[in-house]
Order: sequence, then structure tokens, then C-alpha cells
Amino acid sequence: MEALSGKAAGVDIGISNSGVGGSTKTVLRGSKSIAGNSEALFVIDGVPVVNNKGGQPGSYGGTDGGDGLSALNQDDFESVTILRGANGAILYGSQGANGVILINTKKGQAGKIAIALNSTINFSNAATLPEFQFDYGAIGGSDYSWSKTKGDYQRNYIKDFFQTGVNTINSLSVSGGNERTTTYFSYGNNNASGIVPTSTYNKHNVTFSQETKLFDDKLTLSGNVRFSNEKSKNRPGAGYYNNPLTGLYLFARERDFNDYKTNYQVFSTERNLYKQNWYSTEEKQNNPYWELNNDPKLSTSNRVIASAKASYAFLPHFKFDVRGNIDYNDRLLDYRYAAGGNSVSVSSNGTWNYTKYNDKALYGDAILSYDNSFGKFSLNSVLGGSIQDYTFNDGMTFSNGNIPLQYPNFFSFANLPTNVPVNQTYSRVQKQGLFANASLGFKDMIYLDLAGRNDWASTLANTGNDSYFYYSAGLSGIISQMVALPKEINFLKLRASTSKVANEVPYNTVSPNNIVNGNNTYTFNPQTPFSTLVPEKIISNEIGIESRLLNNRLNLDFTYYKNSSTNQFLSLPASSGSGYVFLYVNAGKVTNQGFELTLGGDPVKTDNFGWNTSVNLSQNKNKIVELIADNPGYQVGSDSEGFNSIIKSGGSFNDLYIFKFARDASGQIILDDAGKPSKAAKQEYVGNLNPNLITGWNNTFTYKNLSLSVLVTAKFGGVAFSKTEAFLDSYGVSKRTGEARDAGSIPINAIKGNTPQTSIDPALYYSVIGDRNGIMEPYVFSRTNVRLAQVSLAYNLPIKGTAIKSASISVIGRNLFFFYKKSPFDPEQAMSTNNSMQANDIFAIPGTRSYGLNLKLNF
Amino acid sequence: MKKICIMVLALILFNSCTKNFEEINTNPNQISKKLLEQDFNLVGGSFPTFMFNLMGHQIEEDLCYDNWMGFMGTPTPFVSNVNNTTYYLRWIDAYWNRVYGSVMSPTKQVIQLAQEYNLPLFGDWAKLVRILAISKLTAIYGPVIYSNYGTSTLGTIKYDKESDLYNNLFTQLDEIETNFKANTSYTGFIKFDPSYKGNIASWLKLLNSVRFRLAMRLVKVSPTVAKTEGEKALADPVGLISTNAENFLISLNGEVMPVSMISFDWNDTRMGATMESFMVGLKDGRIKKYFSEVSDASLVTDHPAYKYKGIRSGAFINAKDDRVSYSTVSTDFKSAQNRRGFTASEIAFLKAEAALRGWANAGDAKTNYENGVRLSFADWGAAGVDAYLADATSKPINYVDPKDSKNNFTALSSITIAWDAGDSNELKLEKIITQKYLATFTNTLEAWVDFRRTGYPKIPHVAKNDSSPDWGVITADQWIKRLVFVPAERTGNTAAVAEAASFLTSGKDDIASRLWWDTNTPGNF
Repeated sequence: MEALSGKAAGVDIGISNSGVGGSTKTVLRGSKSIAGNSEALFVIDGVPVVNNKGGQPGSYGGTDGGDGLSALNQDDFESVTILRGANGAILYGSQGANGVILINTKKGQAGKIAIALNSTINFSNAATLPEFQFDYGAIGGSDYSWSKTKGDYQRNYIKDFFQTGVNTINSLSVSGGNERTTTYFSYGNNNASGIVPTSTYNKHNVTFSQETKLFDDKLTLSGNVRFSNEKSKNRPGAGYYNNPLTGLYLFARERDFNDYKTNYQVFSTERNLYKQNWYSTEEKQNNPYWELNNDPKLSTSNRVIASAKASYAFLPHFKFDVRGNIDYNDRLLDYRYAAGGNSVSVSSNGTWNYTKYNDKALYGDAILSYDNSFGKFSLNSVLGGSIQDYTFNDGMTFSNGNIPLQYPNFFSFANLPTNVPVNQTYSRVQKQGLFANASLGFKDMIYLDLAGRNDWASTLANTGNDSYFYYSAGLSGIISQMVALPKEINFLKLRASTSKVANEVPYNTVSPNNIVNGNNTYTFNPQTPFSTLVPEKIISNEIGIESRLLNNRLNLDFTYYKNSSTNQFLSLPASSGSGYVFLYVNAGKVTNQGFELTLGGDPVKTDNFGWNTSVNLSQNKNKIVELIADNPGYQVGSDSEGFNSIIKSGGSFNDLYIFKFARDASGQIILDDAGKPSKAAKQEYVGNLNPNLITGWNNTFTYKNLSLSVLVTAKFGGVAFSKTEAFLDSYGVSKRTGEARDAGSIPINAIKGNTPQTSIDPALYYSVIGDRNGIMEPYVFSRTNVRLAQVSLAYNLPIKGTAIKSASISVIGRNLFFFYKKSPFDPEQAMSTNNSMQANDIFAIPGTRSYGLNLKLNF
Repeated sequence: MKKICIMVLALILFNSCTKNFEEINTNPNQISKKLLEQDFNLVGGSFPTFMFNLMGHQIEEDLCYDNWMGFMGTPTPFVSNVNNTTYYLRWIDAYWNRVYGSVMSPTKQVIQLAQEYNLPLFGDWAKLVRILAISKLTAIYGPVIYSNYGTSTLGTIKYDKESDLYNNLFTQLDEIETNFKANTSYTGFIKFDPSYKGNIASWLKLLNSVRFRLAMRLVKVSPTVAKTEGEKALADPVGLISTNAENFLISLNGEVMPVSMISFDWNDTRMGATMESFMVGLKDGRIKKYFSEVSDASLVTDHPAYKYKGIRSGAFINAKDDRVSYSTVSTDFKSAQNRRGFTASEIAFLKAEAALRGWANAGDAKTNYENGVRLSFADWGAAGVDAYLADATSKPINYVDPKDSKNNFTALSSITIAWDAGDSNELKLEKIITQKYLATFTNTLEAWVDFRRTGYPKIPHVAKNDSSPDWGVITADQWIKRLVFVPAERTGNTAAVAEAASFLTSGKDDIASRLWWDTNTPGNF
């Protein structure tokens, strides 16, 4: 999915920086849903792909739990089309309301056998490490490196910790057939080691598809099956706990790191086992090499997607398709922490986080289509029904936390302490839909599209609202065929559409039940039943222009849209005195409006040389117009120690609120009696974590068999927040704290009582503003970044002979360098692909740059 | 055509399948009300959890009043050694959220279910649990949400003035008392009551004891009410918690005792220096039941015979490692199954104070005082109580921190143990409250109440005072008075919090504002 980034207007792709196989977040046209995810739906060959995202890291730790898309083999993709608006919802149900990414996979072709071999190797290394000082150590064995005297200390251990990641991707496909039957088979293998040592990822994909035509080509039977097996070891996480980066970055500079690297464990005669060897006992630090070697994390996914389809053109102009699909995924997340680790997060006998579940998605549809033309009119219409039944997270999960396992370092169910509950998880949603759409054309110039769908959703059972209808209507006209335009304009099309989409609420919210705690107690469900829940509603309107000019050498595509989501399903923390702990409400009105522009052309096009350039630009403005109608001042915040993302009416998603310096009327920072900068009384809005403007500029130069492609991407606006820098500063290990000590003091415009003060001691300053809960004003950076996203040079080898039909070799570099970046980390390589934790860095691994070589052979 | 009809029929068949929707949308891993009705678990089954949530954990107790009162000290320099223990708040809402989320909210459902299922005594029991929780919460924050609890889902919810709150609590205690007394042979609670095995008489004793405790809080601000309610509790024939067998013990429900987890697993807490000053100075035999000896003799050169070393409240800390070797709590806590919620010794000391104030049926001050000490020694299995009570010379010692002399303090208290009839009431009260303090280890909130009310025992100040206008300035001659109202309430219930702040004597919502019963008047008589 990263391949789409920057190449299509309005597609905002966030990639987890956890490495190959990590999850992604693809958002078209802004966040619409306060509680739900606003991600686009991926559809493969007409069937929605199950994308059950695993847990994501937060402040206290965790690892990317992956998503459903990493299992796919991208070499099977023939074409990718993006449906941006809500029109995709009619065919695919309300999950398509956030946009649909349609993928068509390769099929065999009649008359020939084709064998394709695709082999890639990519090397990546850490590109955006924070900047450190290595001159000043700690005083008296403290954890904090605030000495004012320089020393000759080790300098390379942070750089040397990261390795060059190697990723090899090999795939082989064989396809062929005759007029009756075509077949496609592929095998793909993806093997990677990450930039953090011991992290590896392996994936095998096998795909088989076949299509047979019978009865004079009237009946087509097709089927395909995709297997994938993924295994990920020691996927890097983020956050404070059990993260090798905290100990690595915060290491007290005067100590001998190399000794801790070799001797990461020390034998304890008291316990007769190995314990972690680290100088600090505070809860957020671990010996990085103890973490890598003794705390293995395993994540596996075994998946099969199988579908069968029958397509019967039983009468002229009619076609009837029936299709069934099953998507089954077996997942395991097994994280083991050895005894003797950090005693705050790991029990004395070890800690085991274990999650095993399967996801089963059944999908079926039956679609009758009728295509005909009557004189000047044409009609393409569809009438159909679909049923989908998704059972997610059917399995178990437990973690013994701090309660010791019975015997140290033995990770098996019988060894669990008796008072740790083993939780069983399950969720199921069934939706049925009936839909119809018709596209009426007049003289191939004007088209009217009407569509309607009625859904029944099991999650609204017993509310009386489990059946809901929604529609879309669109009108488009090819102006260039209707009137005579200047000859420079080869093609001009205008389009406008409006749609209303309804979306069901989450599982088990209408009448939740009570929770058994596992120690002979139970807890009443913390929220009340909500039998008047209604579906969420999204109304979207758009107009657009598409044009080709100057002999089809210049093309333009522009869309302006405005969406409004209401009746949002919200789970809000109830206020202390309300009687509840959580409230479910249907409330809120969220609007998204913006535009998408693609402008491209071929400035140069000769026989041998061509230059194609294309710019895409998009902007989305998100506004929370209303949260709770009766209580306009209501707000929800999730304060994560100095970093607060408040949702309230008048604001937007991912608004960032922090404590700034307390300043007097003339802007001077107010110092308290001890000379410490003081914090403003209330948190203030400092920006939004989403970008304002997203743009990409792609240039492709072709000369005979060579092709050079250069992609520059940029995101403008917004802010990024780094908790990592706040910690690096308060511990005195960042470069700026070193420079401040070199200079002796930090210039400041401050006032203490009535006396102005123009300089301040670095240790005093950084210990107040940094760490978990300080004054976060200096740690908010501009999110704007402009980078050379990709350069690729490809060469089509001139083939003589019949065995090899075509061959190409290319070199690709990604994230090569930044033309402009103010934030110390790469905001586009996220620590989390959730709604929250965007453009926020809490000890996440650095972003990477990569270089690769690819060879394609077609026989 | 025929084929079209079949298709349409097939499509219609889809619709009838919505019958299963309710079943599909029910989570099989959550237990329904219907299932809980079996064995009558529905109404009573969550009481053990309510009791458990009357007490708190690290950021509620250990790093707050356990530390401020010197019972415990932390070796860890949390947030660069600027945190609640040094009077700069980092942790404000944990106990507040626990009370409202884990006690007030589910008891609301229980009270309703008790009505539905016609089990009114469970409703009274739930109300008593609420009173136990709120009476603690108000001692920490002052005005709290009680009488308006649950009256609005999304709007403003007003706080109660403390004076109104205490009157309300006393009235509710009256109602519950009446209902319990009418049903003393009720056996419905047995299954759900790890503390008293469903014995209504025991709950009545606890009720009277709570009344007595709350009454004593008000002796300076509302002496008439205090005397009336206190005498009511003393006069009741059912009685108060008088023997250790009647102690209110709260089951840990299989969890590890917080002070054990924090001390042994996290190494985040150690003996408090104030405790060392008193218990080593007074040669208190309970010290080995509370705390463990250090293994490093160089730490205790100031008193080599007593190998106990504590950490100063609000200490200057350079690195956690410096003081991890100081005295942990006793290893007995590792196997604790329950913790103390209300002990007979507290009642004995309350009676001793009541006797000094001339309340009816309070008995004799000296007898009650000595009884309180004996009950505590017996409860903890400590030896030497007779010699202890006869000791008229031992005093609290000065404290020395071997790692950093900035944490040393000279004992402000020169109290001795043996009762002397010739002492002034003030000195007698100091003896009572000091012994009451030493007896209430692991159940420390009321000790913080007594200190703010009476000024006893005479504990040292924090060594490092980081208080600032952010949360309130505590001057060098003072100690912290309360916690501020929680941030979520300040942003989500702003008008009510502003009104609640006006209920405080100073009108300001900060840590230096005294609570209603903390009257800042000199002397206790």
C-alpha cells in the first residue's frame, strides 16, 4: 500500500514504522468518524478484504499487531483503482463509505503461457535518529547525565545498535490457458530483517485462480484461492516499557555501554538464574540487549482466502453473478518476557502476553445486471443482494502482568498463576443488503447514475433501527461532446454527485452484559444498555472536472467535496457524578471538505525520449461542528501526561493541546521563586496533528529502454509532537543539552518576580520542561516535510530470442532525503496506525531510507 | 423469466434471516443478568469488589498520604524527583476515579436491582459501602459529588458542601441502622461477604464505628453535632468494634497486598523516616512486624541495635539505587490475604479522646488508651506491650540519612508512652493520637485526618518542597492540606467545580486550602 503513497491525490497513507509486514492506515478525504476508523475499504476482485487490525503501541508500550493487508501478495495485483467518494458504499456496503481501493488481480490469458519472475532486494537503514551528546556524563551514578565537565566517552553505540535491514522479495507466477479455461498460479516469498537486530519477518504467498467458460461463453465459472503464511519475530514496538530504545538512548554517558552490550545478563546466586544487568532500576529502562535476546516476540498469521463465482449471461443483455467468499485467518501473538527483567513490568518469574484467535469472514452476493441501449439512451443497471458475516477475534488472550508465573521462564498454560483470568474474546457482525443501481446515458454524453441500498445490521438488533436505507445520485456530462470547444481542449467532463451512507454501530453495544473477573468476582458492565441507538449517517457531495488538453498532452482532474457525518456512535467517559463510567451516545456532527487536484502531462514526447510529469494536490479541512447538542461545552480529552488530544465542538480531530510556558503580558516566561519556568494554568491549543495540504510530484523520463522516475512528496501544515525529545532533554542526553552546557547557559526571555532574567541553567531548564509531564511547548514541531520519496531507474533489457519475452532491471531508492523537515522524527512513519498517536513519537524506532534492486523476467 | 423469479425469491429469503440478529449481537463471553440470578449472585455478587475498591494502590496511597504522614518513603525520584511526595502534584485522580467508577457507579445498579428483586437489605448494604467510600473521598478532596450523583448524564452535576455532606451521611447511617436492626437474623449476605460472613450485628458495629470516626472529625468545626453523633455511637447497645476478632478486614480477592508489590516487585517504597524516628525511639515491638531489617550495617550506625532505616518524606533523591537497600516492609505482607479497614484499636483511641472531651459512655481515658495499644500489639502479634506502656522516658529519635544529610531531621515530637494523669489534656491528646498513628499502619487515611485536625503526631516537614502556584504553595511551616479537584472534572464539569471551590474556606481549589473540619484554630480543647 505504500506504493500508492504520493501518487494519487487525496490518499493519505500512514505506515507503521515497525518494519516490513507492519500495518498501514489509508485515509481518503479525512477522518469522518470520531470513534471508528475512517480507513478506506480494500476490495480484491469485487470482494472486500478483511482488515482486522491488531493492537497498536501507546505511551506505555506495545507493538504493532499488524493488519489484514500485509498478507496479500502485491505481485498478484494487475490494477489498482481508487474510488474516493462514498459511491463505493452502494456496492460494498457502508464500510465503503470511507472510499474504496479496488484491486484487480492478474488472470491467465488465452492462447499463451506466461511465466513471470520478479525478484527484489532492498536495503534499509535508520534515517531519522535523534541527535545526541556524548560528552557529558552523570554525577554520582545518577540516571541523568547532567555533569558539567566533559569526558572522553563512548560515542558510537547508538549508531551501532541499528543494522542494515535486508528485505528480499521473490515471486514466480505461471499463467496460461486456452479459449475455454485460463489459469493463474503464483508463489511469493518475502523475507526481511529489520533495522533493529533480531527482528525478522517471513511471508509465503501461494495464489491459484482459474476461470472456465462453458455453454458458448455464456457461463463463466471462476474460483481462486490465496494462502498466506506470515511470521514476524521481535517486531519493534514503541512506548516506555520493555522497549530497547529507552535504555539505549538514555544511557548515562560516562558508563561503559559495550560492557553492558556483552554482559547484558548477570548470574544471580540468590535465584540461580540470569537477571538483567543494567545500572538503572527505573521502570522505563531496560538493557537493550537483554530486551532483544531474552524477550522474544512472535506473531504469526495463517490465512486463506477462497472464492468461487459463477457468472451466467442467460439472455442477451442480462447477466447473473453469484459469488461466495471465505476469508479465514489464524493469528497468534506470543510475547514472552524473561524472569529477572525490569521488575515493574515483568513479574519475578517472567511475564507472558498471549493472544490467539481466528477471524472468519463469509461473504456472498448475487447480482443481476442488465446492460442495453435504446436509441440514443444506454442503460447499465444492477440489482443485487449481499450477505456478510464476520466473526472476529474468536479466541483467547491473557497476560499475567506482575503476578508471577508458578515457575520461572516456563511459558505454558499449566504454569499460569491461578488468579490470572484467561479471557475469551469474540465478536460477530452480520449484515445483509439489497441494492440496485442504474446508469442512464444519453448519446454517450450525459450520464445519470442512481443507486440505492438497504442494509440490515445485527449490531442494531432490538433498537428497531436495524434496517436502514441509503442512496446516491450522480450526474456527469462530457461537455466536449456536447458543445464545440476550442481545439486545445480535447476532452472535458463535468460531474456532480450526492450520497447518503449509513453505518452500523460496533458489536455488543446495544445490550452489553457483565464481566466475570476471574477471581470469583464479577463487574457490572460499566455502561448502560442503549436501545435507541441509530446508525451513523454520512452525507457527501462532490463536484468535479476532468479534462484533457493540448492534444491529450495535458490532463487535469479536479474534485471538490463536502461531507457531513452525523449520529456518530461515541463511547465517552462519563463524568464522575453521572452514574456511569462510559456513555454511548449517537451524537456529533463532523464535516470534511476539501479538494483533490491532479495535473499532469507529457511536456516532451518524441520517438526516443519522453517526459511525463504529474502533480497531485489535496487538502482536507476537518471540523467537529457539534459533539453533544444539549451541552455545547462538552469535551473529551485523552490526556497522556502532557499531551492531550481534545475532541470538542468547534475543533478538529487530533487537535493537540499542551501546557505552554506561563508568560506575562509582554511575553516573558514567568520563573518561580526557585528560578524554574512555570507552566500556564490551562492547556492550550497548539495545532493539529494532521497535515493541511498533501502533494506529490512525479516525473518520469524515458529514453529508449531506460526509464527514470523521480517522486517528490510533501505534506504541509500541522504539528508533530515528540515525547522522545522531552525525555532526551530531561536526561541530558540530547545534543541540544550538550550545546547548552558548552555555551554555559541557555538564553531565555524570562522574568522572576520583577527582575528580568536572560539566561538560565541548562539542567534546571530541561528538567522542568522535559520528562513525562513538563512544559511541552518546545516539543511541538512543524509537521511540514518535503522529501525525495522515491527515485527509480529501470532498464528494459533488449531481448533477442524467444525464450525470454521481456526483462527489466531497476534500482529504487526510497525516502532518500528531506528537502525540508523540522520535526526530529519522520511524521509519516508512524508509531501507530490508530486514530490517536498520529504524528507523535514516544521512543518509536527511527524512520528508514532504503535502496533496492529489482529484476523482472517474463518468459 | 422463471429464473428471475427464483432469484427474487432467494433475495427475499435473505430478509427473514434478521431473526438471528439479537443472538448474533450478544457477546457469549459476558455473563447476562439472567445467568447471575442463579444462586442469587446478581444482587450480591459484586460486593467483594466494592470492598476491595475502598482501598487504593501506589499513586492513591503509597505516594500520597502514606508518604506525607511518613509511614512510607520512596527511593524513586519519580518525574525528576518532583511529584506528589514533594508537594508538586502528578497524580490527582486515581482514587477519585476508583470510587466513582468502581463503587458509586456499580452500587447504583445494585440499589436498583435490590428494589427490582425485592431484596431491600442489599440496597442498604450498598448504601453503607458508598458511605465508607465517600467518607474517605471527602477526607482527601473536601467537597465531593454525593447527593447529586447520577442525576444527570451530560449536564452539570453539583458538589456537596462538606457540612451538608456530613449531615447527609449521618442521616443515611440512621436509616441503614434502622433497617439492619429490624433484620438482625438476615442471612442473605453470607455468600458475598468475606469480611463478616454476612453477620448483620458485625455490620452494625462497623456502622457505629464509622459514625464515631466521622463524629470525631467535626469536634472543632461543629462540636455539637460531633458530640451528639459520637454519643449516639457510644450509647448504642450493639456496640462498636471492640476486639480484634471484630476488626473490619477487607479481602484482597487474591491480589497481592499493594505495599508488598510496590516494595518487593517494584522497589518503589520503603519504610518512612518518621516511622523510624518514632518506633526506634520508642523501642516499639511492632517495628519487626511492619518492616524488615536492612542487611547493610553501615546504614544504621546511628542506632546499630535497631537495624531499620527509613526514607524521609519528600526526600532529596539522586538515584533510585541509593536507597533501595533501606528497610522494606515485612515479608509477612507477601502472603497477606486481606488488609485492615477499621480496627478495634482505632475505636479504643477514639474513646480515649471522647473521654477527654467528657462524652457520655466513653469510659476512662487511660484505660482506653492502654487498651488501644494492647489491641494493636495483639493484632500484629508483637511482644513487649507491658514494658512499652510502662516506658515514660523513651522519645522519638532524630533521623539521619546516611546517603544525604539534607534529608536529616530533628524530631519535632518529644512524646513518651506511659500515661500520666497529671498531663494536660493537650499532652494527653498528643499521646493518644501518636499511638493511634503508630497503630494504623497500612490503613493510613484517618491518620492524615487526625494530623490536620489536631496537629499530632508532631511529624517533620518534607525535605524537598516543590510546591508552586501550579497546584498551590505550601509554606515551609505547613504541610499539604488536600488534593485538588480532578482535571477531568475541571474541564467537563467546570461550573460545579468552581462552585465547589467556593465551598472551601479559602475559596481556592489548591493543595493549601484547608478542609471544612481543619479549622486552623490553636489548641484542641
